[in-house]
Amino acid sequence: MKLTIERAALLKSLSHVQSVVERRNTIPILSNVKIEGRDGQVALNATDMDLDIVEAVGADVIRPGATTAPAHTFYEIVRKLPDGSQVELEQDAESGLLTLRSGRSKFTLQALPVDGYPVMSGGELPYSFTLSAEELKGLIDRTRFAISSEETRYYLNGIYLHAATSGGVPVLRAVATDGHRLARVEVPLPEGAAGMTGVIVPRKTVNELRKLIEEAAQDVVVSLSDSKIRFAFDNAVLTSKLIDGTFPDYERVIPENNDKILEVDCKSFAQAVDRVSAISTEKSRAIKLAVYGGGLTLSASSPESGSATEELEAAYGAEAMEIGFNSRYLMDILAQIEGDAARFAMADAASPTVVREVADSSAVYVLMPMRV
Amino acid sequence: MPERRKIIHIDMDAFYAAVEQRDNADLRGKPIAVGWSGPRSVVATASYEARRFGVHSALPSVTAARKCPELIFVPPRFEVYRAVSRQLRQIFAAYTPLIEPLSLDEAYLDVSEDLRGLGSATRTAEAIRAEIRRETGLTASAGVSYNKFLAKLASDARKPDGLFVITPAMGPELVADLPVGKVHGIGPATTARLNRLGIHTGGDLRAAPLALLVREFGKAGQFYHQIAQGIDERPVQPDRARKSIGAENTFAADLYSQDAALQALQPILAKLWRHCQGGGVSGRTLTLKVKYADFQQITRSHTAPRPLASAGEMEQVMGLLLAPLFPSAKGIRLLGLTLSSLDGEGDEAGPGGQLELAL
Repeated sequence: MKLTIERAALLKSLSHVQSVVERRNTIPILSNVKIEGRDGQVALNATDMDLDIVEAVGADVIRPGATTAPAHTFYEIVRKLPDGSQVELEQDAESGLLTLRSGRSKFTLQALPVDGYPVMSGGELPYSFTLSAEELKGLIDRTRFAISSEETRYYLNGIYLHAATSGGVPVLRAVATDGHRLARVEVPLPEGAAGMTGVIVPRKTVNELRKLIEEAAQDVVVSLSDSKIRFAFDNAVLTSKLIDGTFPDYERVIPENNDKILEVDCKSFAQAVDRVSAISTEKSRAIKLAVYGGGLTLSASSPESGSATEELEAAYGAEAMEIGFNSRYLMDILAQIEGDAARFAMADAASPTVVREVADSSAVYVLMPMRV
Repeated sequence: MPERRKIIHIDMDAFYAAVEQRDNADLRGKPIAVGWSGPRSVVATASYEARRFGVHSALPSVTAARKCPELIFVPPRFEVYRAVSRQLRQIFAAYTPLIEPLSLDEAYLDVSEDLRGLGSATRTAEAIRAEIRRETGLTASAGVSYNKFLAKLASDARKPDGLFVITPAMGPELVADLPVGKVHGIGPATTARLNRLGIHTGGDLRAAPLALLVREFGKAGQFYHQIAQGIDERPVQPDRARKSIGAENTFAADLYSQDAALQALQPILAKLWRHCQGGGVSGRTLTLKVKYADFQQITRSHTAPRPLASAGEMEQVMGLLLAPLFPSAKGIRLLGLTLSSLDGEGDEAGPGGQLELAL
């Protein structure tokens, strides 16, 4: 194999691909990225056996061929090459070593033959639908902060993607929860998704997927079975195993009859929470909201650092109450609300509170209070 | 300076063995070991007749039988020991409400307040020993001093059936001559570390700078520093809350594979879970204890953000803890599970606790 490629293009693809590769591997070839040059492009492929990514970049292929090289080393080298440089990759047919040349630099990498590289087959993926990059981004961004990282409840370690109906309208829903807060976001059900199995997409897949969307403007084709999911972009394909578990019946923790309604200006509320939380302890991050007609008072205190209060104007008509929240969780939710106003629907200081954007009903957040 | 406390440490003499000899005349005056004689068993308690042959608790039964060919193994009867233990508690309660049981046969009593008007802690201790003998037919040793550490040291000084008093004047000197390994809370590992630092006796420990001890041993270093001067401020804690619950098992044959270990853990897990349900407790930290064939012992633990609410959740954590230990070249002779960070500990339950969605 011999090819030349622009450093910038190679770096971008390589940065996606290398982050799938685990830092520590018991199987040596899993530390490698597969590089295949043919038909005017180079395909980069990496896998951790649960998640597989292939990304293609235009290249000047002089002699087609394929090999594998240590992903992180390869990435480090390309990252450190100067802007605007050209990279030449050449594999010596006899020694099998991969030589990388750029300007006055020359690197020789230990390559491993491609036949040993694991292939993750998608198998049959009976459901297939198209989402715009914008829709997919919205589903991910507004839910992934709530994904649990607790290994004992592994079925919460991802985003639950499934078809549902909302007010009689079929929707595609993304739900994530860590048991303290929950995020539910929906988009109109795309064609081809009707009747699909509910699937739990693992956190790592979600994060890698999000990086690919960052640079994509086009549609994404999503295909899935009950064990695998595939996201196909113009020049990249991500295939992942799904979390084999049952997502809990989340609907029953979203209260519908909370009647203490508080409406706040999202931005000034978030800023106030941020300021007051400076005083709450690193460990609990607890913050207290005292709501009353016409406004609310935020307060926090910690035995080590002191106390803080801040008053805010807000629309509130129900009886006065106090409720505590983890300030970090509040900020996470407020950060997802793009409009001006947020609506908090509360019941009491020990029951779940529902947060929505006033002008947008596609997202619902549920937050459990803290005892304060 | 706070008023000096008066602490008694009561320790039954060869408890299990003494109960067996009391209840079976044929065993009296003979070397007996409470425990099973099987190849994997250990001695729970040895009678004083057996101790002369070098048989002691925790000794593998096979070794014990070799040391003392006449040794009679008696299967333990825990329900009887527990009943006697309850009798002891009743006796103690007549002298003070401040009772801290350490096990079935051992307890600290704070008798600073002379409720029975006996005149001194020494007389109180004698009265308790006499009553134990009268009520149970068993002998106890007692240690009397001004803190828990020295009281325990004292009860060991005149065993069996003895009483010893460590007065404030004697305390520091006694500690100075004591090998560090005899100090409460200093086990073999800490002893080795202290010895490497040139600290062999209580006197050495007293001479060691506090800063060094704290650097080497953290919070425990402070405790050692105090102990070395005969100071121990730990109160006698009546009804000390249970801090952990656990179960373990020694196997008839060493285990080598992960599957075998997982299978062997199932009954241990089931037992632990029964205890949880029986006591209505749950905990967040699961600790796996592994003792290898060469007696090397390791523990691995995981703390979940919330109490483990089912046997299934516990089993998952157990799997996470076990997996990295394989493949193992060494056989496993014992596996155990302990649940700690029990309900009400930590900040989950108090103010500032995050509430959970009812998922």
